[in-house]
Amino acid sequence: MIEEKSIKDNKSFWQKINIFKVNSISPSLIIVVIVMYAVFGGINQDFFSFQNFKGIIASLSVTGIMSVGLAFVVLTGNFDVSIGSILGISAVIMGKLFNVAGGNIPIPVIIIIGLLVGAAVGALNGFLVTVVGINSVITTLGTLAVFRGLSFLYANEPSLIKNKAYVALGRGFIAKTIPYTIIYMLVIFVAGYLILRYTKFGRDIYQVGANPSAARLAGISTRKMQFWAFVIAGVTSAMAAVIMTSQAAFAQGEFGLGFEFTILTIVILGGISLAGGRGTLVGVVIALIIINSISNGLTMMSVPVNWREAFNGIILIAAILIDSVRVKRRELLKA
Amino acid sequence: MEKNLPEKKKFNFKLTDTIILLIALIALVVFFGFMNKDFFKYDNISSMLKNMVITGILALGLTPLMIARGLDISFGASISFTGVLMAVLYARGTPLVPTMIIGIIAATLIGLLNGFLIETFDLLPIILTLGTMSIFTAIAYVMSGAHSLPMLTDQLYYFATKSFLKVPLPLFLLILFTIVFWFILTYTKIGRVIYIIGANPKVANLSGIKVKNVRIYLYTFMGVVAGVASIVMVAITGVGNPLAGARMSLPVLSAVVLGGISLAGGAGSVWGTTVGVLIVTVIFNGLSVLNVPSYYIQMFQGVALILIVSLYEIRNTRAARR
Repeated sequence: MIEEKSIKDNKSFWQKINIFKVNSISPSLIIVVIVMYAVFGGINQDFFSFQNFKGIIASLSVTGIMSVGLAFVVLTGNFDVSIGSILGISAVIMGKLFNVAGGNIPIPVIIIIGLLVGAAVGALNGFLVTVVGINSVITTLGTLAVFRGLSFLYANEPSLIKNKAYVALGRGFIAKTIPYTIIYMLVIFVAGYLILRYTKFGRDIYQVGANPSAARLAGISTRKMQFWAFVIAGVTSAMAAVIMTSQAAFAQGEFGLGFEFTILTIVILGGISLAGGRGTLVGVVIALIIINSISNGLTMMSVPVNWREAFNGIILIAAILIDSVRVKRRELLKA
Repeated sequence: MEKNLPEKKKFNFKLTDTIILLIALIALVVFFGFMNKDFFKYDNISSMLKNMVITGILALGLTPLMIARGLDISFGASISFTGVLMAVLYARGTPLVPTMIIGIIAATLIGLLNGFLIETFDLLPIILTLGTMSIFTAIAYVMSGAHSLPMLTDQLYYFATKSFLKVPLPLFLLILFTIVFWFILTYTKIGRVIYIIGANPKVANLSGIKVKNVRIYLYTFMGVVAGVASIVMVAITGVGNPLAGARMSLPVLSAVVLGGISLAGGAGSVWGTTVGVLIVTVIFNGLSVLNVPSYYIQMFQGVALILIVSLYEIRNTRAARR
């Protein structure tokens, strides 16, 4: 503890406030953002319009919040491909709750139930991975199918949400410019950042992913950390469900279909290493902006939706190539 | 002596495992037969067997790959893409045989791409193939305009509908594949190499096996297999459908894992996979004969995958404790 403090004291002011760690991926990602904006802006002047930025910002929060949760899971060295299905099932359940008992269930109760659904599915994933010991990809592939099936079954047609106060949660603006949703996202990101960086829980998450056996020797329960990471991913997906249903004013079984792919791309592009234990949420924010702006820019260039999906695949492959090169470079530096 | 001993031990162990699976299979068949009289009708059985051919071919292709600790989930996209590509080419007047050859070459190249990237850059196979999956699904959608493109030819129609001695023709293809894979894995040097890699890649590397090259071959071969599966798919359905492969991954993965292949590599056999394919086909066909809605079937696939792997994991931890 004392040693750590003295090291910190040696840092200059700039180092103290510098959220980009040395060897971080963030500076290169920022360059990507600048180049990308120049290209899109050059092709289409409307890209820089206020209206378009508002659109980009409003669309950030659902994927953004989910990528915070997934970052926790990937940091512990696991995967969760069921997050899109968690969003779906909790959205569908909340949508139904708005339409039972004459629509008189208070909003906070419904939101809490929605979040609990997310936490429960996350806990199920965590249980299967840590206690039963199944590979996390296979586990979540299974729960993905189960809960997607359930939400389709439960909501063949969209259930409308007529509660105005709830819809305002997703559609409201502060001073007519800043969407509420971006505030929620920033709160989650800051909370996630602080937890990962400044609490014992966060440090343990990194430790478990970086070196599980060392973590175990240091007295950290690796299973417990992995379990909680899955629960966090479940809860953040349910939060995204709250935002999505309030923005759309209805809930449908299709909500969140295929999201896991985009979000995995964001998290990996943001420098959270697939090997676990490396990366920060700062990179994830920038990656989030990159991915959303690309999809927005391609839409403005009227690129068909299917090509945009192919583009996402190419970015995912590029991101894992970069990750692999970075891992190898670290190994070389160590040796 | 040295060669025979470990082989025999392994064989006995797998035999007991496969017998348990066979008993489960018979129980399932009896159950579905009782629930619905149509289950044993010739039409149902022959359509079930035809569906099994595609799942079976893919599962067989995955078997050596997963034994050697690889994984490919892009085969569904590869089937969709190849199917659409062949339908487009055929509609433009390319003769059937060149169309099929081009289809197989395209699928092979996808496999080669997967293998090359994974092995050269040490990537996680599941993530990389997730990426290629999305790319080729998207291309299939764009090429087809999100429609099923008809591709009806006399030869493929004949292959898909006719039978020899009451056995549907596609089934012979599956039998041929099974025998070839079984022979390669059990009796050839390359089969032993695959098991050695799966058991311990580092040791395999030190003993002079070019692990990466072998795996690249296996990924490429998985591409070939996906190409063949795509042709069978086109023959049976008569269309090149961009959605054709989307629902293949869960049944195929379930079948392979059910057959005793662990994600940790090194274990598994062609017979295990074959029985796994049979069980998966019976379950899903049985459910659709019972008129279970497709959402339930999807859920059931998920539950089945988790249950199967749980049982194996629980048994493995018990064995490890002993």
